[in-house]
Amino acid sequence: MPRIRLEGIVKNFGDIKAANDLNLDIQDGEYLCLLGPTGAGKTTALRLISGLTKPDKGRIFFGDKPMNEVEPEDRKAVMLSQTYALFPQLTVAENILFGPDIKDLSEHDKEKTLNEMLEMVRLRKRPDAYPRELSGGMQQRTALARALASGAEVLLLDEPLRALDARLRISLRHELRDLAKSLGLTTLHVTHDQEEALVMADRIAVIRQGSIIQVGTPAEVFDNPASPFVANFVGQSNFFVGDVIQKREATEVQDDSGHSVLARPGGCKIGDRVVVAVKVGNTEISKEGEGFFEGTVERVLFEGRNLHVDLNVPNIGRYSSKIPSWRLGKLMPGDVVKIKWSADKARVFPMPEKGLVEELKVE
Amino acid sequence: MSWLEKATELVSRKGFRKGWLGFVIVFFLLFIIIPTVFVLSYVFTNWSDIQNNVLNDPQAMNAIWAAIGNSFEIAAIVTVIDFVIGLPMAWILVRKKFRGKQLLDTFIDMPLVVPTAALGFSAVIFWGVTVPTVPYHWGLELVSSPFILIVLLHILFSYPYMVRSLSAILGEIDQTYETAGRTLGASKLTAVRTITLPLFRAGLVTGIILCFARSLSETGGTFVALATLSGSTGFNTAPTLIQYYKSIPGSQPVLAFISILLIVLALVLLVAVAVIVKKMHLPIRKIWPRPEKVLSRGFAPKLKDVTSIAFLIFIVLIPSFWIFTFVVTSSSSQAMDWSTFLTSLAYSFAVAGIITVVDLALGVPLALYIARGRGKRLPEILDVLVNVPLIVPTVALGISLGMFWNPGGETTAAISFVLVVLAHLAFTFPLMVRNVTGAVEETDPVYEETARTLGAKPIQAFRRVLYPMISSSILAGAIMAFTRSLGETGATIAVAPDANTAPIYIVNLIKASDFYSAAVACIVLIVISFAFMLALRRITRKRREAN
Repeated sequence: MPRIRLEGIVKNFGDIKAANDLNLDIQDGEYLCLLGPTGAGKTTALRLISGLTKPDKGRIFFGDKPMNEVEPEDRKAVMLSQTYALFPQLTVAENILFGPDIKDLSEHDKEKTLNEMLEMVRLRKRPDAYPRELSGGMQQRTALARALASGAEVLLLDEPLRALDARLRISLRHELRDLAKSLGLTTLHVTHDQEEALVMADRIAVIRQGSIIQVGTPAEVFDNPASPFVANFVGQSNFFVGDVIQKREATEVQDDSGHSVLARPGGCKIGDRVVVAVKVGNTEISKEGEGFFEGTVERVLFEGRNLHVDLNVPNIGRYSSKIPSWRLGKLMPGDVVKIKWSADKARVFPMPEKGLVEELKVE
Repeated sequence: MSWLEKATELVSRKGFRKGWLGFVIVFFLLFIIIPTVFVLSYVFTNWSDIQNNVLNDPQAMNAIWAAIGNSFEIAAIVTVIDFVIGLPMAWILVRKKFRGKQLLDTFIDMPLVVPTAALGFSAVIFWGVTVPTVPYHWGLELVSSPFILIVLLHILFSYPYMVRSLSAILGEIDQTYETAGRTLGASKLTAVRTITLPLFRAGLVTGIILCFARSLSETGGTFVALATLSGSTGFNTAPTLIQYYKSIPGSQPVLAFISILLIVLALVLLVAVAVIVKKMHLPIRKIWPRPEKVLSRGFAPKLKDVTSIAFLIFIVLIPSFWIFTFVVTSSSSQAMDWSTFLTSLAYSFAVAGIITVVDLALGVPLALYIARGRGKRLPEILDVLVNVPLIVPTVALGISLGMFWNPGGETTAAISFVLVVLAHLAFTFPLMVRNVTGAVEETDPVYEETARTLGAKPIQAFRRVLYPMISSSILAGAIMAFTRSLGETGATIAVAPDANTAPIYIVNLIKASDFYSAAVACIVLIVISFAFMLALRRITRKRREAN
C-alpha cells in the first residue's frame, strides 16, 4: 500500500484558502487522523488525495509516483463520505460489486469477492437488502466492503462516524480501525472530534486554516502541543499570560497583577511575554492548602466519573477543572478555592503574534 | 477488448471530454441562442427598411401596436387569473390528503395533452358565438368578444403550468415554519400569508414566466379561435398578425419589426417581473388578527376549495375537451382526407422525433455541465441564456431563426423540413435542459464522486450512478419536448409556412371551413398526446415508488 505525500499544496476557492502550503506525509499502512475545526480544510485535503479536487500548486505522491495528473478512478483511493453514499438504487450485493462490475471481472471472481466481503463485514444475511433498509452501522460496513472490493489501497474517511448514534459510534471506532489495520491500508480519517482521533489514530495531524500545525502520536499531541491552539483543541486547557521571571528546574511566570505560576522549562528567555497552558484535567483545586491563586466556583457539572467545575478567577478569567466525582457535594457554587498544578504538566508558549483570543478561535 | 470498452476508454479521455463539452456549448450558442435573437441585428443592418416600410406606414403601425397591446394585455390577465386560482389548487394538491387526489392530479395536466389548435376550436364552440359556417349549436354562445375568448382560451393551456410551478415549490417548503407560527398564536391564514407565501417567490417567478411566455407565443389555437368566432375580423394578437404578414410577399421588415418588439418587450418585462417579485415584500406585513381568524375557519376555506375545483372543471377541463361533442353531433360535409392528414402526422412525428433525440444527446450534457458548475462563470452564464428561448415568443423565434438560416427565403421541401427541425429544436432544448438541471441539482454529487474513487470513469459514473437517479426527469424532458413540438404552430408558420405539420394542416382545414375534418384531426392528436402522457405518468410513478 502506498505512502502518501502532499508537498506544498495550495488550493483557493475564491478568497477562501482551503489549503495553504499543506504538507503531510502518511506512512504505508498508517492510520492517520486529520483533526481540525470546521472549515479548516480537512475535507479539501481528502479530496486532493482522492483526485476529486485539483491543487492550484504543489505536488501529491503515492509512493514515488506523482499523482497530480492521475484521474480519481485510477488512484485506488476510495472516499467514504459521512453519509456513506451507498447507491440507493442498488442492493447491498450490487453496491459491493460496483468496483468489480466496472472492471468487468468474471462472474466467478465476482462471486468470490462478494462472499469474502459479506463474510468480512458480517452481512451474509442481507445481500439483497437496499441501503435504506439497513441500520447505520450496517450501511457503514457495506460502504467499507464496497471500498475494499474495488481494490482500494488507500481509505479516505470523511467523518465516517458522525451520522451514527453515540453508543454505536464508540463501538465502531475499534472495528473500523482494526479492519483498516488488518488489511494494511493507508488510511486518512478526517474528524473534528478530538476524542475520536486520540483513540483511533497511529498519528494525529492537526490542521488549521489550510495548513498542518502539528503531527504526532496521540500522546505527543496531547502532552506536548505545538501551540496554544493545539493545547486547547486537543483536550481543553486553561491559560495564564505573563512574563518569565525565573528559569531553574521550573519556569516561573508572573502576570501584571503579581500572580505567579510554575511550568515546565521551555525555549524562552527571562523577560519574555509568554502563555502558560495546562489541561483542565491537570488543574487541581482545593479549599485548603497552597495554590498559585484563588478562584470562585461558578458551577459544578456532574459528568458521571468526573465533575466539571467552572471557576472565576479575578483579573485572570475563566478556569475549568476536572475532579473525581466523589467530591460531589463538597464543592458548592460560591466556594473560594486554591488553584494549582504541578510544574511538569504546564507548558510555556511564546505569546502568539495576534494575541491569545485570536489564537484560540475555533472558526 | 470489446468495442464497448474501447468506446468507454475513448470517451473517458480528457481530450475527448473537453472536445465534446466544447462542441455542446458551441452547438447551444450557434444553433439555439444566436438564431433565437438574431432578428435584433436587423435593427442595425436594415434600419432604413424598417423606417420606410413600417414606421412611415401609419396603418401598419396601428395594426402592430393594437396586436402587441392585445398580446401583452391578454398574457397579463391570464397570468393573474392563473395565479389567483392556481394557488389554492396547488395548496390542495400538496397539503391535503383525500380520496381521488391522484385523479385530480391527473386532471390538472389534461389540457396539456390537447394541441393548442384543438384547444382553440374546443374553446370557441364551448364559449363563443361561432361564424354561421360552423355546423354546431350545442355551445353556450356566451362570448362574442374576441379579447375575452382568447383570455379564456389561454387559461386552458397556461393554468397547468402555473399550478405545477407553484405546487413544486410548495412541496419543498418546510411546513415547520408555518406550524411554529401557529403555535406562537397566528391564525392559519395569517401564518400562511406572512410565513409561507414569502417563501414562494421562486415558484411564482417560474410560474409567471411560463404562463406569460406561453400566452405570448400561442399562435395555432388563437388563430383557429379567431377564424371561427363571429365578428372577430380585424382582431389580432402579435402571433396572428405575424401569420397574416407571413402570407404577404415582401413583408420582411414588418415581420422583423414585430418580432423585435416582441422579443425586447418580453425580455424586459419578464426580467422586471423577476426583480420586482424577488425584491418586493410580496404579502403585506400588517396583520388583522380577528378577520383573519374568522377567514381561517368554517365556511371561508371550504368556499375557497370548492371554487378552485369548480374553476378547474368548468373553466379548464370541460372547455378543453368540448371538441368531442362536435364530432358526435355534427357530420361531415366533405369526406375526410385521411392520406394527407396521415402524411402531415408523419411529418410532425419525424420533426418531434429528431428534435427529441438531439435534445437528449446535447441537452443532457449541457444540463450536467450547468448543474455541476455552480459558482463558475461560464456555467452560470449558460444557465441564464437557457431561459432566453423559453421567454421569446415562438413566432418571433421562428422569424428570427428563418432570417438567420435562410436569408434568401428558399422554399424547397427539404429546406423547409430542416428549418422546422431547427426552430423546434430551439424552443424545446431549454425544456430538456431545465428539467435535467433541476434534477441533477437535487442529487448529491457525493454519489458520483464516490463512484469515481471506486474506479468508475466519468461516463461509467454517469451511466451507473447518476442516470438511474435522474432518468425520470430526462424522460419527462423528452416527452415534454416531443409533445410541445407536436402541437407547435407559431414557430412552424414563421419559419416555413408551407411545412406540412399536423397543426398547420388543422389550421388550413379551418381556413377552408372544413370543420369536421379539423375536429377529427384534433381528436387523433389528442389521443396520441394522451397516450404519451399516460406512459410518462406510469414511468415516473414507478420511479417514485422504487425510490
